Amino acid sequence: MDLLKTFCTAAEAAGAVLVECKSPAQAAARIAELADGAVLLPVSASCERAQLAEQLQTAGVRLLAVDRTQAADAAAGVTSAGFAIADTGTLVLESTAEDVRLASTLPPRHFVLLDRSKIVADGLAAVTPLRQLHQQQPRNYVAYITGPSRTADIERVLTIGVHGPKQLYILLLDNWSSDLLEM
Amino acid sequence: MNKRRQREYKGRIDQVLATPKLQDALHKFGDAYLVSRDKAFTGLDFEALRSEIATMKDGVRENRAELLQQFIQNAEAAGAIVCLAKTAEDANAYIAELAQRKGAKLAVKSKSMASEETHLNVALEKAGTQALETDLGEWIIQLAGQRPSHMVMPAIHMFKEDVAELFSKQTGRQEAAEIPHLVQVAREQLRQGYMDAEIGITGANIAVAETGGLVLVTNEGNARLASTLPKVHVALVGIEKLVPTLEDAARIIQVLPKNATGQALTSYVTWIRGAVPCADEEKELHIVLLDNGRSTLAESPQCRDALRCIRCGACANVCPVYQTVGGHVFGHIYIGAIGIILTAFFHGLDNAAELVRACIGCRSCVSICPSKIDLEEIILSLRETIGEEEGIGAGKNLVFRKVMRNRKLFHSLLRAASVLQKPVTKGERTIRHLPLFFSSLTEWRTLPAVADKPLRDLILQQPQRVEKPRYRVAFYGGCANDFLYPELGLDLVTVMNALDVEVYYPQKQNCCGVPALYSGDKETAVELAKQNIDAMLEGKPDFVLTTCPTCTMALQRDFVAHLKDNPAWAAKAEQLAEITVDAAGFIVNQLGAADAFSQLATSEKVTYHDSCHLKRGAGVWKEPRELIETSGHELVEMAHADRCCGFGGSYSLTSHPDIAKMILKDKLIDIAASGATCVAMDCPGCMMQIRGGLEKQGSEVRAQHTIELLAEAIKSSK
Repeated sequence: MDLLKTFCTAAEAAGAVLVECKSPAQAAARIAELADGAVLLPVSASCERAQLAEQLQTAGVRLLAVDRTQAADAAAGVTSAGFAIADTGTLVLESTAEDVRLASTLPPRHFVLLDRSKIVADGLAAVTPLRQLHQQQPRNYVAYITGPSRTADIERVLTIGVHGPKQLYILLLDNWSSDLLEM
Repeated sequence: MNKRRQREYKGRIDQVLATPKLQDALHKFGDAYLVSRDKAFTGLDFEALRSEIATMKDGVRENRAELLQQFIQNAEAAGAIVCLAKTAEDANAYIAELAQRKGAKLAVKSKSMASEETHLNVALEKAGTQALETDLGEWIIQLAGQRPSHMVMPAIHMFKEDVAELFSKQTGRQEAAEIPHLVQVAREQLRQGYMDAEIGITGANIAVAETGGLVLVTNEGNARLASTLPKVHVALVGIEKLVPTLEDAARIIQVLPKNATGQALTSYVTWIRGAVPCADEEKELHIVLLDNGRSTLAESPQCRDALRCIRCGACANVCPVYQTVGGHVFGHIYIGAIGIILTAFFHGLDNAAELVRACIGCRSCVSICPSKIDLEEIILSLRETIGEEEGIGAGKNLVFRKVMRNRKLFHSLLRAASVLQKPVTKGERTIRHLPLFFSSLTEWRTLPAVADKPLRDLILQQPQRVEKPRYRVAFYGGCANDFLYPELGLDLVTVMNALDVEVYYPQKQNCCGVPALYSGDKETAVELAKQNIDAMLEGKPDFVLTTCPTCTMALQRDFVAHLKDNPAWAAKAEQLAEITVDAAGFIVNQLGAADAFSQLATSEKVTYHDSCHLKRGAGVWKEPRELIETSGHELVEMAHADRCCGFGGSYSLTSHPDIAKMILKDKLIDIAASGATCVAMDCPGCMMQIRGGLEKQGSEVRAQHTIELLAEAIKSSK
């Protein structure tokens, strides 16, 4: 099975929702449909290159400044992913910038833009880019995200959205970014 | 032995056995866990993965000083402040002092077993800082004023109604006992805490020496919030969490969630190195590296493998004792099999002593451990330490040291017992009722009577017609076969003769020593090992056959372990181990003779019970099934075929008959549900337990040794 297919199967099994997109504009439109409120968009190279902020605003999305007070009120956070891990359906987010963490932890919905080509096979294959991330800067906060926040702490019943996002949308794009270290 | 402590512990067992709801929940969890775990490991080689982890972790133990230095250096280079805490008190004092210095009113915590280990919350409260648990399970038990009953699922012993009641008190509203609603309540109630707290406290699943970074493996997302929002982040990390490289960390992450809960991966794996940005400033990251007994553990040759543990909690998930009494009884702070060992080193032998005795020794934990820790062997060695420190009790002392070591005395007492028991056996082969204070022992199962004549006498009278023997084998009967079930031994002779194998019974053989060993009397076990090695090797047999897998393990494993440093005995012990084999395995693997029984039996619906020490000790489980099926029976698998029957030797007779009874009950339910009219097994101990239980129930199902079924087949075809 190819990596993209494996990734999609695993991500869906973990409770993520896949959204196939043909262009950044289409991605913005889908976010507008699904966000259900104001959105946090932390700065990232790929989003800037695609002028995602403008695209979102064009699609009618209200953007909030990413700070702690506003973040708590946002309906959704929008981030890019550095890369993904196929076998577990995992997104890898270089989250050293606090904005990325706020956008991916506080709002009830999290949208992640992922280039279909940036998928590695498994956790061991992910170590190469992970090590590069560590070498790139002296301090890091790297997040592996697999599906929405979950708990089974009451009677082992799987329940979504205890502390982090209740919904995780993965927007799949081509020509979005080719660098595994770029968010 | 500490009688008061023992009584108190038994009281706790009685109390928990009165709540079947908990047992029911833990049984269901155990079943569901195995299904998801199997699925999660599909396509992966668990044996290979766990060998890698074991090797890597052993390397960490050996190089721990350098790796610790490397980790500290890299963490400090990344702006972390590192504290090495020798004891729990040191760790708590450091964190409490920090909290005071920061004037912290509130600390939000994500789940950390290390902080449970040190009782950090108490230390923080004393310093005037409220500790708020944010992991849902931890918050529930914090509100209830309890401690975790499972390492991964701390509130597994509670039900939604209990949670609703606790939450209602907290919110001042009536909260419905519906799980999604309760989860939402927790989200809302805890959210403000992250904003208000001056300090976030987490544990860590892994500390990577290569980077000086920490890895947190979580599902809820609270560790991400607790490590992001407050200005100060304190990570309390046991020093055994060290790994050399990111690859090593990746290997643990690959296995940990799969083995813990059957998840492919947790929702979040968070890699934090150093002081990261925090609200336009820099985070203050304190890493408190906790020793608290770990270095002592590393120095213990018998117990040090326990440092390989990655805290998945699987040893509890599959443990029949845990499933029966839960983690509050079968645990101190750390629970289950690994908990017993960690308790001994982190919280003292006194806190571990009752737990050590509560282990039934079924090895189900050993087979599921992702770090390949032989938990049973370590627990046995702790039993020995406790036996030496506290004594094993006057009664056992007398039996093991004065009686068992003297074979002639031991056997004449058993012979005398066969006469003295007449008033209770009333001439029958089983004891249905025992008088007075022994009566509880026969309440839930009958017990076999001591045979009129032991196997060692009867076998001499059994004619053997083997013209050209393929092999001459010595039969190691073991006490149960010799004195309780001699007919089983005679059946073995019948079966072997039919396969052109001659059997003889070395008369100087004695008890295998396991009862003494399991009670903590190693000295007697070693003495018995020597007696048996001489007895069994004397006639230069081709093989030594056994019908009891516990004896098999003694001859194959324990004797070698006891005598490996004794130059006069080590080679002899090895020699005996090499030629010792259980009867079913011998027929299939050494003789290749399963077909000799082809369709000889009068077909019956047979289900098979795996004896713990045969499957998880000797690795034999396919062989008896092959023999049963080949001989013409219809084999139907029962659920949980390889779950312990609750016998455990003296466990079901003296240590914990109340727990043994419950484990047997589960087994009898599975046997009945299989629809079989016969349950086969390869262990006289299991026969005693299961046959006794079936008989007491008045069940029609018979319990037979596989060898008995084969002998039956031979006889019926003649």
